[in-house]
Amino acid sequence: MNCNDYKEAIAADPSESFDGGTAHASACESCSDYREEMRALNGKIARALSIGVPELKMPELSPIEADANVVNLPFGRKVRITTPTWLGIAASFVIAAVFASRMLGGGAEYSSLADEVIAHLDYEPQALRVVSTPVSTRMLNNVVRPDVADVGGLGLITYARTCPINGKPVPHLVLQGAKGPITLLLMPDEKIERAVPLLGKGIKGVILPVGNGSIAIIGDRDEALEQYEQQIIDSVRWST
Amino acid sequence: MNSSYAHDARTGRFNRLVGVLHKDMYRYAAWLCRDPSVAEEVVQEALLRAWKSLDSLREDDAAKQWLMTIVRRENARYFERKRLETVDIDRLTPTQAAMLVEGDDAELNALREAIYRLDEDYREPLVLQVLMGHSTKEIAALMGINPGAVLTRLHRARHKLKAVVDEAEA
Repeated sequence: MNCNDYKEAIAADPSESFDGGTAHASACESCSDYREEMRALNGKIARALSIGVPELKMPELSPIEADANVVNLPFGRKVRITTPTWLGIAASFVIAAVFASRMLGGGAEYSSLADEVIAHLDYEPQALRVVSTPVSTRMLNNVVRPDVADVGGLGLITYARTCPINGKPVPHLVLQGAKGPITLLLMPDEKIERAVPLLGKGIKGVILPVGNGSIAIIGDRDEALEQYEQQIIDSVRWST
Repeated sequence: MNSSYAHDARTGRFNRLVGVLHKDMYRYAAWLCRDPSVAEEVVQEALLRAWKSLDSLREDDAAKQWLMTIVRRENARYFERKRLETVDIDRLTPTQAAMLVEGDDAELNALREAIYRLDEDYREPLVLQVLMGHSTKEIAALMGINPGAVLTRLHRARHKLKAVVDEAEA
């Protein structure tokens, strides 16, 4: 690269991201000075372009037909379960699961990820208890590998299990939200193209696309799930 | 009920994206059309268009490029629809003139006016690179030209602006 080439290139791209630029400027005082001149000019251009912006006036956003994307949850209330009741339910589910497993030859097939998420929640109602005891750190660390997510800052996590979704083990967590339990399924291998809303009586949720995977977030209908979404997305590592 | 939640979820996503990128949308529009009041209309139209096609945006990381493309198209549509001439830089309206003078820094205001007077072919890639942080490749894709042409326009734009700054300093 000669000096003319360098000066043209640095005037086009003051960040000097082009090949050979840094080496040339470090060996040529004139070009090095020119680079500083261009960078100073660029700073002034940036300030000149940064004109004041009026307050955002959001237009009226009419509802888009999205019914086709909504999946109904088959259950509709948060569950408060006493220990004896829970043991009874758990025993029933074990029996039912064994029976179903035999009947289905090892595993059911679902037409969509949303269907499978919903079916899974239905099989683990005990997770939806309103409790204040955090799950043990050991259990949490066993369930959520460091390369999947860092969930330490998410709040009170009261349930953590590894559960099969589409035949792959995924972390199933429950947080205690302001209005009740919030279920999270972290699915690093379940890529979806866009968010899938979920809805039930008293319950709402969404499966969000995150990199090459997705996260299901489901809570009480009155829970402001949006305020958790970004924090949860930020906690996962597979997309970074 | 179902559509209500879908609407809420969609609105939440849209508000998050627009909250972050609205300033960029406005500034890009303002430097494209060189008229703050037109820029506001263009941004309003762009927001509606973006809302309708939000589901086509697969990754939120790509939202900036996506929204700028919409602003660019809406700006073109606006001028086509209104059959407006391009701005006569010697007969500016008060709102156009106000865009050029912000604060007391005479050198900065002179530079802003020089950018304003640049031909659109030079002004647009400069805005996209300096203000939006777009790469040469992204600018080329947005403007529908090849990367070499982007670089040529950028270095010519800076040479023109350098001459203005040098003259102001002399």
